[in-house]
Amino acid sequence: MTEAVRTNAPVLAVEALSIALPKGGDRPLAVENVSFEIRPNEVVCLVGESGSGKSMIAHAVLSLLPRGVDIVSGAVTVAGQDPARLDRRALRSLRGGKAAMIFQEPLSSLNPLKRVGKQIEEMIVAHQRPAPSAAEVQQRVQTLLTQVGLPNPQLLANSYPFELSGGQRQRVMIAIAMANRPALLVADEPTTALDVTTQRQILRLIDDLRRDRGMGVLLITHDFGVVADVADRVVVLRHGKVVEQGTVHEVLSNPKADYTRELIDAVPKARFSDIQGTVVRPEPLLEVIGLQKTFRVKRGWLQPPREVVAAEGISLTLHEGETLAVVGESGSGKSTLGRMILRLTEPDGGAIRFGDQDLRQLRGEALRQARRQLQIVFQDPFASLNPRQKVGDAIARGPMAYGTSRTEATEQARKLLVRVGLSDAAADRYPHEFSGGQRQRICIARALALKPRVLIADEAVSALDVSVQAQVLALLAELRQEMRLAMIFITHDLRIAAEIADRVIVLQKGRIVEEGPTAEVFTAPRQAYTRDLLEAIPGRAFFDQPGFAATHADEIDSSVQRDALKI
Amino acid sequence: MDTIRAFLRHPSGMIGLVLLLVVLIVAIIAPLVFPVSPWEMVGAPFTPPGEDGMWLGGDTLGRDVAAGVAYGARVSLLIGIASALAAMVIGVVIGAMSGYFGGKIDLVLMRMTELFQTIPAFVLAILLVATFNPSLLTIILTIGAVSWPPLARLTRAEFLRLRHREFVEAALCQGERTWRIVLGHILPNAISPILVVTSLTVATAILLESALSFMGLGDPNLMSWGFMIGAGRTVIRNAWWMSVFPGIAILVTVLAINLFGEGLSDVLNPRVSRRRA
Repeated sequence: MTEAVRTNAPVLAVEALSIALPKGGDRPLAVENVSFEIRPNEVVCLVGESGSGKSMIAHAVLSLLPRGVDIVSGAVTVAGQDPARLDRRALRSLRGGKAAMIFQEPLSSLNPLKRVGKQIEEMIVAHQRPAPSAAEVQQRVQTLLTQVGLPNPQLLANSYPFELSGGQRQRVMIAIAMANRPALLVADEPTTALDVTTQRQILRLIDDLRRDRGMGVLLITHDFGVVADVADRVVVLRHGKVVEQGTVHEVLSNPKADYTRELIDAVPKARFSDIQGTVVRPEPLLEVIGLQKTFRVKRGWLQPPREVVAAEGISLTLHEGETLAVVGESGSGKSTLGRMILRLTEPDGGAIRFGDQDLRQLRGEALRQARRQLQIVFQDPFASLNPRQKVGDAIARGPMAYGTSRTEATEQARKLLVRVGLSDAAADRYPHEFSGGQRQRICIARALALKPRVLIADEAVSALDVSVQAQVLALLAELRQEMRLAMIFITHDLRIAAEIADRVIVLQKGRIVEEGPTAEVFTAPRQAYTRDLLEAIPGRAFFDQPGFAATHADEIDSSVQRDALKI
Repeated sequence: MDTIRAFLRHPSGMIGLVLLLVVLIVAIIAPLVFPVSPWEMVGAPFTPPGEDGMWLGGDTLGRDVAAGVAYGARVSLLIGIASALAAMVIGVVIGAMSGYFGGKIDLVLMRMTELFQTIPAFVLAILLVATFNPSLLTIILTIGAVSWPPLARLTRAEFLRLRHREFVEAALCQGERTWRIVLGHILPNAISPILVVTSLTVATAILLESALSFMGLGDPNLMSWGFMIGAGRTVIRNAWWMSVFPGIAILVTVLAINLFGEGLSDVLNPRVSRRRA
């Protein structure tokens, strides 16, 4: 066997793999008859919506399946070994040795009580035989931290995970994974918890390391934008079965399965919305003036408290029937802004004028009455419904709190459920019987039951699968027309902002860095920060975001004009 | 329904429940089996178990130990459950106010709770019972008054956890009034651990009551296990049965409640369960 042939042997081979779910699951097999291979220096993306079994496959690769979930047939071969058949010692040397894994949430994957340098050292010491000297290990740690692009490795090695940002933590996780030069890297949604700009850096880092070391990468994602950017080959999963697989070019430009096409079509393309706000009255409905908020976090007895500026002189206006998108990275203060308008978080200074009242001055009953006009839809559809309250009650309670009779409110709740695309029988069921998308529809119905004039959507579609995301966005757009709602749409996803908003505000560290009509901000951004955000959108090159590319000049002109006419 | 079914499959929880039911049945049928008052002298003093129609023997005054144990079950269960409920009411009210309103209210209430926690419960109980006349009601209130701090702490922690959950904030935005938010949204989601701790409080309340009676601070009109042990304690070397049988009764009841409480905990909080599926 020549060296060339041997090195081209697959680092991961999954053959006819089937994994059974415990009895009482929603289907008997989590994964059914899945086969694919990863060769050295190749990135394979496993794509699918939640519940497609993609994480199960990743966990099977390192024999990390939860108890009660077992491989029933087929085999996984990692660098020539089947992890399911290895004894503990061999499995230990495989994990983190030949195959390494990084997870979605970098904070919970690092030990909070240990300095990150120590955590990397541990990985080296556990696997290298004969054990290298302490100085050598130190040297390796420094090299690894430099390789993953962390500034000032000495200082970083002595930091605790909580002192690092999300992106830095994920880099540390990658350094740990890289410590023993694995042949295979399994990355389970490694960038889902990160901002677009950080996401792009991390994906680029994984790609660079892959090229440097010729390792195979199994990347699990739900985002076709990410797929378009980094994958060599794609495996599309649905309900545990492979729907389609092939090279990234084949699958994306010429999808054979309808499901793949649906998924690709559902990716927000940042087409500017056609449904622009109808009539704009000169009088703003909601006016935020110079809002201030600083969070103070106590650190130690002697250290001064850490200050995080969430809002520094934020001013904005919102007119009836208008949708305003607030975009920014995590920590930019966009959620705090929404919460302050509803007085869920108390601002330090500034004013929130709604009609002829200043919401900040209201207390008790007056505040309760004012809140009726302002409603919110939260990000997490699982956390925002009371698990012990029937859906119908959840919707009817709002009007009832303002004096509507129970029968009338219940009747109204059923109608609303039908309006948001569920059946009226849903009213008698509990939230756990619904999927994420359905729950978000319930939350929308709950918010609309009070007939508000302003709806704040705080990352309302971020936790949903792309296809569901598109449906919920369409519903919001319809309702907005129908009820002449003014909407503040808070999101980190610029593609969505472009599709739904009339105007956009870009926030950075609690300040508005750019503001203007959607088309203008996205096609001719004035600030470098906005440009960075736009460039970081995954899959830009492939999906050719129509409005964003400067080549579509005519389209830009018309939309700019349209907005100019409105104002 | 699922909770009940899961509990039926929980082995140690079911053992606890069965034992508890046995104690409960004994308490209920005591007057039928022993029509004569347990205070009545029915045989010779120091009758050993099995003689003179007394299965568990007679005490120093010739009273039936078996009758005492049976009637004692009524007292122990009544006081245990009633004082645990009293502790739950006090603890939940204080914990809920503390956790929901926070700030100064929290500060004051929690310092008060700490004050109670730093004084040993039994010493405080003796002090309270000795100050007021020992009667069924004062004993229940006393035990309730010394047992609430853990429940208040737990309720406060649960309220802090749930206070800023999105569904609670959504209810706030819906214009729900404070009492509706507390009773309709937060409390139902906090109730499982509170119930578990309350059920375990029943066990400690029974122990406290026994200890008080042992010291002679129980209600003098009630036959209780602690009183029987206290009365038989001086003669334990030549008449072991007078203190051993009531002792076994306490052991079995407290064990049963603990098993039941732990079973309840596993079923109601499956995620923190010690038994993995």
